[in-house]
Amino acid sequence: MKLTVVLGTLSFFVLVIAIVFIAANEQDRMESFTQSYQSRQIETGAALFENNCIICHGPQGRGIDSVGPAINAADLFNGERLGSFGFSGTVENYLRGVISAGRPVPSEGTDFPERMPTWGMDNGGPMRDDQINALVEFIMNWEEVALARGEDKPDGGTPGEGVGTDITIALPAGDPEVGEELIAGTLACAACHVLGPAGPAWAAEAGIPGIATRAESRTSQDDYTGEASDAVQYLIESILLSDAYVVDGYLSGIMPANYSQRLNVQELADIIAYLQSLP
Amino acid sequence: MPIFEVHLPLLDEIKTKGLKLALQGMADNAVERLTSGLGISEVRAVMRDDPPPRPNPRLKPHAEGFWLHMRPTYYNNLLDGIYPSFLLGWLSTFFFTFEIITGIFLMVYYTPSPLVAYDNMLNILSNVPFGRLMRDMHKLGAELMVAIVALHMLRTFLTGSYKKPRQFTWATGLILLLVTALLSFSGYLLPWDQLSLWAVTIGASMAEAAPPEIVGKTLNLIVRGAPEFGAGGLLRFYLLHVIFLPLVGLLAFGVHYYKVILHGHSLPPEAEEVGVDTARKVPIKVRTYFMPRILTRELFWVAILLAIMVLWSAYLFHAPLEPHAESLITPLHIISPWYFLWLQGMLKLGDKVIWGVILPTILIGGLLFLPYIEVGPSRRYGHRRIGLSAAMLFVAGIIILSFMGTPFYGVDTSPEQEAVAVLVPETEPGPLRLSDWDELETGVYESAAWNIAPNRTLRDLLHTFNEEIEIAEYGGRTGWEGVMVIEDWQPGLKKITLRVLWIDQATGDPGEFNNSTYLHQNSDYGQGE
Repeated sequence: MKLTVVLGTLSFFVLVIAIVFIAANEQDRMESFTQSYQSRQIETGAALFENNCIICHGPQGRGIDSVGPAINAADLFNGERLGSFGFSGTVENYLRGVISAGRPVPSEGTDFPERMPTWGMDNGGPMRDDQINALVEFIMNWEEVALARGEDKPDGGTPGEGVGTDITIALPAGDPEVGEELIAGTLACAACHVLGPAGPAWAAEAGIPGIATRAESRTSQDDYTGEASDAVQYLIESILLSDAYVVDGYLSGIMPANYSQRLNVQELADIIAYLQSLP
Repeated sequence: MPIFEVHLPLLDEIKTKGLKLALQGMADNAVERLTSGLGISEVRAVMRDDPPPRPNPRLKPHAEGFWLHMRPTYYNNLLDGIYPSFLLGWLSTFFFTFEIITGIFLMVYYTPSPLVAYDNMLNILSNVPFGRLMRDMHKLGAELMVAIVALHMLRTFLTGSYKKPRQFTWATGLILLLVTALLSFSGYLLPWDQLSLWAVTIGASMAEAAPPEIVGKTLNLIVRGAPEFGAGGLLRFYLLHVIFLPLVGLLAFGVHYYKVILHGHSLPPEAEEVGVDTARKVPIKVRTYFMPRILTRELFWVAILLAIMVLWSAYLFHAPLEPHAESLITPLHIISPWYFLWLQGMLKLGDKVIWGVILPTILIGGLLFLPYIEVGPSRRYGHRRIGLSAAMLFVAGIIILSFMGTPFYGVDTSPEQEAVAVLVPETEPGPLRLSDWDELETGVYESAAWNIAPNRTLRDLLHTFNEEIEIAEYGGRTGWEGVMVIEDWQPGLKKITLRVLWIDQATGDPGEFNNSTYLHQNSDYGQGE
């Protein structure tokens, strides 16, 4: 009986001390949860961005010429872009609004003919508010690097004479390193062929040779439907007329069909040189 | 004659007895009213465990007070220990009260709508002082309560306490067990995260299986409020959870406890002659009075349990919170709450109607009527070998079925998904998200070469990954390989791609499975959310 009373009283004091201690730490705990939740929003946003946005805005949000504008760009975060059309809210407000409601008509004075789809459920899209907020958190996480990069706008390949669709074109000497920069930049090739599974991977893996070796034997394959007669022509055809032959297991019509206008002959040569460096 | 008269007897008493004695008298009076019969000196005597005077004033609160009139004034000495009750009934009551208190706290911050329910959870965790503690305690209490109530039933069976005259007490107890399980189950849905939606979906799919089809369909509509869970279903589960089931539970509890008192707490089986029940009359010599002994011990347990619950919830147990419910994305391994795993196991055995509806109904019916069917007079363990063996078999069966309910049994998934899910499971954080972010160095790592990875974290992760790759097996595939690619993606954000590669033996074609996970340096998984 005595022991019961002593132990009971003791554990009552333990309880009180524990609650006081928890109360003292509660502010920090709430702040730390808020921070970790925001971080997880960024993770969620990154996955949503990869699944829905990179096709137009590029894998790193640097934009794709003639398709979608850069959002990983200093002018978005420093207020220049918002100021140019008199938007008075914050960047977050702007992003939330544009993602949710989309853009019914292309913005005037831009070369982005595609309209931005509506993503928010309120506007008939597929995403809940928390998902749109996650995307906003993810995009806002670029602020620091985009501002640090400054006005140096991403180089989307020099606009110039489009190369056209002749796959037998004679190419100048290409530089594989320039080619590699191009594919990682605003051409957005990397989105499907390096990072994602939408297009055949270029690099060698799992016993499958890289694109250079595959191109060598492609034109002699039985099911080959294109017009190319050698490896270089096959690579050119794949870029400029990508639906001439679609590798088994992938869908036709997915690869943008505008590279014949977007690339000049030197750029095409650089890219081919890069691809041929991937045995 | 005055039309308004104020008379303070205290003033008269001060006049006659002096201030000190008068105030003492008043305090004594107040305590006596509050305790329904015990003055200050007697309360003190109770606390000191002094022997009671005669007549015993400590019986008065039982006769005149509301709360204690429900409690017996004395117990048999034989019940004054852990055995034979193991306090399980008392613990069930404790947790029922505990859940009501923590539950009301949570109700303040909760709206049963799919639009805001999940936000409410985040708000409770990030913005409500003691919010996480209350949520964790409510969840922990709920799980413990299910276990305790189930053990209480098992104990009642083992000591034969369901036998005449306590058959009806047993039946109300079974109702209480069902109410407890359903309370816990209905609460599962409320956070509206992936875990809750899918765990509850499994359970609710049984309603759909009830034959004939029109009944199942209607039942399903009634339970979910629509063909699938949505605003209607959430509101229904909420109302079940906070109003209907607690009310049913309270009623059943009232009947249950009344019957317990009416028949007396059953004594240990070996203490009585076979076929005789002497619990109701406790001879004077073997009485343990409620006051002070039982009361003190109950207060002792309340203090101990509250301290345990607070410390356990604050530092060890955290109620999970997964991503927002997504009716279009089914996580790889969905499992029902542990106390329904046996049902999930049964569902894997075959027809949903037989295993998911008919058998559980027979089981519950059988348990309900058990004391009316099994009427052997003896409660002694030695005389009930068949019954006790059956109980052990039953428990073993439930354990085996529960195991069969887990993904380890009878689930065919592709090995590439399994291999990836070992590192990044869809229903919990998992080793990758819990690992040290700074040690995830960018690079391309092959799982087979795990032992040359640059640091401990990567070696452990790749080793785990590789173990799955090595046992990967799928008709006609060979050459399994696992690759982990870590890239810097954004400031503070890394992208981890897990890739499983294989070769199709028949065609020689390669195949691959990719999974990308993004990990932020401050996402801090493992604090329970």
